[in-house]
Amino acid sequence: MRRITQHPILDIPERGRLTFFYNGQPMEAREGDTIAAALTDQGIRVFRETHKRHEPRGLFCAVGQCTDCIMVVNGRPNVRACVTRVEAGMRVETQRGLGENADENI
Amino acid sequence: MKTYDVIVVGAGPAGLGAAIESGKAGASVLLADENDQPGGQLFKQIHKFFGSHDHYAGTRGFQIGQQLLEEAARAHVEIRLSTRVWGIFEDGTVSACTEDESFRCRGTWLILATGATENSLVFPGNTLPGVITAGAAQTMVNLRHVRPGSRAVVVGSGNVGLIVSYQLLQAGMDVAAILEAAPQVTGYAVHAGKVRRAGVPVLCSHTVLEARGERELEEVVVAQVDGQFRLIPGTEEVIQADTLCISVGLTPRWELAALCGCKMDFCGPLGGRLPLHSETLETTCPHVLVAGDLSGIEEASTALDEGRLAGVHAAAALGLLSTAESAEREREIQSRIAALRQGAFGRKRQTSKEQIWSRYHQHQGGGL
Amino acid sequence: MERKNAYVCRCEEVTQEEIIAAIRAGDTTLDAVKRRTRAGMGFCQGRTCRRLVAQLISAYSDVPFDTALEGSVRMPVGPLSLGLIADTAGGTEE
Repeated sequence: MRRITQHPILDIPERGRLTFFYNGQPMEAREGDTIAAALTDQGIRVFRETHKRHEPRGLFCAVGQCTDCIMVVNGRPNVRACVTRVEAGMRVETQRGLGENADENI
Repeated sequence: MKTYDVIVVGAGPAGLGAAIESGKAGASVLLADENDQPGGQLFKQIHKFFGSHDHYAGTRGFQIGQQLLEEAARAHVEIRLSTRVWGIFEDGTVSACTEDESFRCRGTWLILATGATENSLVFPGNTLPGVITAGAAQTMVNLRHVRPGSRAVVVGSGNVGLIVSYQLLQAGMDVAAILEAAPQVTGYAVHAGKVRRAGVPVLCSHTVLEARGERELEEVVVAQVDGQFRLIPGTEEVIQADTLCISVGLTPRWELAALCGCKMDFCGPLGGRLPLHSETLETTCPHVLVAGDLSGIEEASTALDEGRLAGVHAAAALGLLSTAESAEREREIQSRIAALRQGAFGRKRQTSKEQIWSRYHQHQGGGL
Repeated sequence: MERKNAYVCRCEEVTQEEIIAAIRAGDTTLDAVKRRTRAGMGFCQGRTCRRLVAQLISAYSDVPFDTALEGSVRMPVGPLSLGLIADTAGGTEE
């Protein structure tokens, strides 16, 4: 667990818990977590596999600029994990390539 | 289409400063930001700011952010978050969108405060999960309250690299080393002293050669470089780390300014390509002002005051401030900015800014 | 451990070797490198790699860095879904 609970400067309030689904498995997060924060807390740092060379990628800029952390969220591809807040029941999946594992209808 | 006296793009310190000053003078102001929280990078700055009392010295970044939001509310600034401005047209129409809707609006004055992007580095393994920007590490520990890993190597000993290293320690991470390609630390001595006292080695004349790991970062290969930044063979060393933070400067985010048709310029010490601008933040496009890191990479306090200056300029041009009022206000803000551009580091920025201003006036055909 | 690629454009997976090869083949502007290698054509629109490509152009050709940085900017700025843009073009106003 990588969550910071005590800090010399910051006040870290206790936040409510929620459950989302990571590659089909239930996973716990805190209210207000970004997807990237929730996954990082659980030790998961590979968020997608690239299109050409199928290489692992994860967080890079954390402010929504570089788009390296895109995942399939509720069936929709190319969602930036670093700036998207996790919600109860949300389906978060490792993105394969351009989102081959996304729902076809979207 | 909704119209505003002033549309400000970017709600970091510069954008907030601009929105507050024009709003206070009575302008109708839209402040748009693509993030879901205002403040830009202020809320992840947990260190105390330097400078005089006028510059919020001794106050931490996130506290300044809070004060600015209160000021903006009092100035009746309309803040639209999760809103990305993606286009600007010749007639002053601004196109923006949120996750699920798009809209257009028009502003008499447009103030661009789009900030900066962190620079990156090329080395084998630079896309391995665990290799992140220093700003990303700071966002994770100070805003998201989650450690990106347990043991970090930081590349770059500028102020961002030094401050972030210290903040990783505060968050409970180990910092194995700070690498600096130059022969000496490039940030403030006070920040370097702090990390050194905390036991973090600052390896000058060192660079990152390679990031290694199967699916994630496991180790970092570093080596020494000579005065010309050439690798010294045989000096390679492997450092165990699951996090590599890149802190090699910032580049102004100039896309929207270029889209407006602002004449662009280049200034290495201010971060590279940026819109040509005057002392009062005018660009070569009428009714388009710039402020903050977009007009040259400096610090949050300078960005805030540049924003305020742009806000006053717009308010005066709209006839909302008398000549005397705006002159008085501009003098006050400019003297604060001048104070921030003193000292060894500040003077370099002042000189660079003067070159930009001078080229602006040459371009406009006036001369200084 | 196998040595990994050194990427310049993270989005389109363009390596340093590929960029240098393009420059050596005569591509000395951001747009020319982009056309040949796709560097800068990805989701982030070159925001992350533009500076790196310009650095390589200046290192491997006689084009200086500041000149190399000059590239065209097109709307939309930033990663957007095309549907939303079509909406605006159609005139969703308020």
